[in-house]
Amino acid sequence: MLRHPAERWSRLHMSRRDFLRRTAAGATALPTMAALLAACKEDAGPGTGDGEEPELRIGTPDSPVELQVFDDNPPIQSDLEVEAREGATLKIFNWQDYFWKRVLEDFAEEYNVGWEYETFYNMEEAISKIETGEAQFDVFFPTIDVVPGLVAKKIIQPLNHDYIPNLSNVWPQLADPFYDGRSQYTVPYTVYHTGIGWRTDMVDLSVDDFAAMDDPWAPFWDAANAGIIGLYDDYREALTVGLFRNGVDDVNTGDGAAIEAAGALLQELTALDVRYTIDGAYAKMPEGVFGLHEAWSGDMVATPYYIKTGTDPHFLQYFWPARSAFGLGTVGNDCLAIPKNAQNPVLAHAFLNYYCDFKVAMKNFSWVGYQPAQTQLNPDDLLGPWKGPFDASKGWIDGYVLESMPETIVTEADFDIGKRHLALPAETDLLWQNAFATVTAGG
Amino acid sequence: MPSGELGVVGQRRWYWPVFAAPGLLWLVLLFLLPFYAIAAVAMGGLDPIFGQPEPAWLPTAWDPETLGNILKSFTGNPAAGMVPLQPVFIRTIEYVFTATALCMVMGYPVAYYIARHAGKRRVLLLVLLIAPFWMSYLMRMLAWVNLLLEDGYVNKLFTFLNILPAPRNWLAGDSVTVVLGLAYGYIPFFILPMYAALDRIDKSQLEASRDLGASPAKTFLRVTLPLSKQGILAGTVIIMLPMFGDYYTPDLLSGSPNTSMIGNMINRFIHTRAGGPTGASITLMLSMFVAVLMLYYLFSVARAAREARQ
Repeated sequence: MLRHPAERWSRLHMSRRDFLRRTAAGATALPTMAALLAACKEDAGPGTGDGEEPELRIGTPDSPVELQVFDDNPPIQSDLEVEAREGATLKIFNWQDYFWKRVLEDFAEEYNVGWEYETFYNMEEAISKIETGEAQFDVFFPTIDVVPGLVAKKIIQPLNHDYIPNLSNVWPQLADPFYDGRSQYTVPYTVYHTGIGWRTDMVDLSVDDFAAMDDPWAPFWDAANAGIIGLYDDYREALTVGLFRNGVDDVNTGDGAAIEAAGALLQELTALDVRYTIDGAYAKMPEGVFGLHEAWSGDMVATPYYIKTGTDPHFLQYFWPARSAFGLGTVGNDCLAIPKNAQNPVLAHAFLNYYCDFKVAMKNFSWVGYQPAQTQLNPDDLLGPWKGPFDASKGWIDGYVLESMPETIVTEADFDIGKRHLALPAETDLLWQNAFATVTAGG
Repeated sequence: MPSGELGVVGQRRWYWPVFAAPGLLWLVLLFLLPFYAIAAVAMGGLDPIFGQPEPAWLPTAWDPETLGNILKSFTGNPAAGMVPLQPVFIRTIEYVFTATALCMVMGYPVAYYIARHAGKRRVLLLVLLIAPFWMSYLMRMLAWVNLLLEDGYVNKLFTFLNILPAPRNWLAGDSVTVVLGLAYGYIPFFILPMYAALDRIDKSQLEASRDLGASPAKTFLRVTLPLSKQGILAGTVIIMLPMFGDYYTPDLLSGSPNTSMIGNMINRFIHTRAGGPTGASITLMLSMFVAVLMLYYLFSVARAAREARQ
């Protein structure tokens, strides 16, 4: 049975967004930062892999990498028959409620196959299951930070682009992303940025007011908003707010003093009864528990569907600080990959290609709330008037995004100005974790 | 047949101990082995690529550095960059003891009434008492979140009755809300063993007390209360142990650093990739503390059994 986003109870515990950030450590345990930087070196060219030792290649927007392709983990050959015709079952491994089952049904019908959708609670568990061979899946939804490790450990297989012509529908920047040059192992799934969500009936500010501020995060430190402030319960996202306020633009910094200073800034919020939640923006703000919350753009897209029946949702607003003179904000994307031990690799390629189709991706967006990176996507077409409660039989046909929140729409240009959270070496990651744990431990 | 192989009633000596085997197996599989695994994670390493815990299964390979750092944090002397755990641990103790006291104050009279005065309605009352708890803990807490909203029914009722002059923001990191949430969540687990203990008290002892001239209050204080001590202890242990590890109650009803409990710290670290050993170390420290309470309970039960035999 199809479910409305409001029924996604699992997100109260741990959404894939939570773990996307919590575990942004990805490839965390590199022995030293030097090793990390060595792995990131600019000339880490295309890895044909002949006789090469696996290495962790971690790209940055300024220093993109192509991941190694190994002789013992080659892409599938071209022109193979899709297993679909043999009555196969496509096995998906994803976060709960992060793909619309109706889209899966459409795909299954088109290819005359069955489908299974298995979920994981966090990326660690997911990798462990795939790595040990405990479960075999055809399509996996990794976060970008773990992709280098998945490749180095040969857990996912390289893609044969002959089967994915629709990749050309994807924004060029993400069709050739810095973390996986030429999309050798992954195709992009959804995009989002991290900004500020608020209710105008509780915080009397407009988007223009935020845009005019030297520091758009300042209202979080305003005593007038005590008791209605929320930040994500996520060490990277929360501490990044502190870094930005302190003028630090490196969201992957290993500078212990900068991280501690960011934590100290967040500790000031404890006196204002700040709360750290993962469902605060999309579920609790519409309920009125919060008036001001750090927010992922995709969460804000979903907020109208969490308000009380009969309430006009236009009091919900969103602002991404990177678009103002402040200039700092984070942006990100998730992706799809095919495990090495996939039983139906050709069918899996067909699924990746299917998802890269504009209409399919938009249909999925209509339920998931997180936007695809499609070139045909016109931001103006996304906006629409509030049409009342979500109708699962139709999807969000009359406007994917509430017209009062145009700022939630992610554009390709946002990836030029937004900062990216990247994998951190273990020691740095622990600095971040301890700083945030100190904040959340209270005084 | 050698007499040494037979017990007092004629069975072989292994006959009765065999009955304990499933329990022992259960204990080994579901307690000792997991506990050993936690120790192995706490003193183990990390996967070099994904930062997942790599347990050190051999004690000779154990590295106690993380555990040592956590011990320092518990004792108020955290190493540089480590999370200070003493304040959150003290807060946890305060919350758990307060919530337990509330459970006793509210739960004892309920159990007493059902055991001694409910008569034919006893079963009905027990069912009614337990019925709400057929629903999941999560759903019940979420229901409270709605009730405790600023425009929720609790505030509406309290302001209508002039108990509160204005709606209170119960969910904004309020210790009272978390403690009440804990008490609400665990109270049936106190009432049920309490009821069983009170129900077992021999009525003739109460009648003897009354016959000897004791007032009802004195009878309760001198007879009922001492005889129900084991029930109080059992109920206390049953609710205190899980309360110490609780993290979802403060998460759901608050989410504020002001109300963080030690369970929240464990949950935070074990769900981050490189934080496994830290989370496991905090778990070990908490287990040691809880073991002290458990030992007191076991000692008390053993002493009571000894006294009963005498």
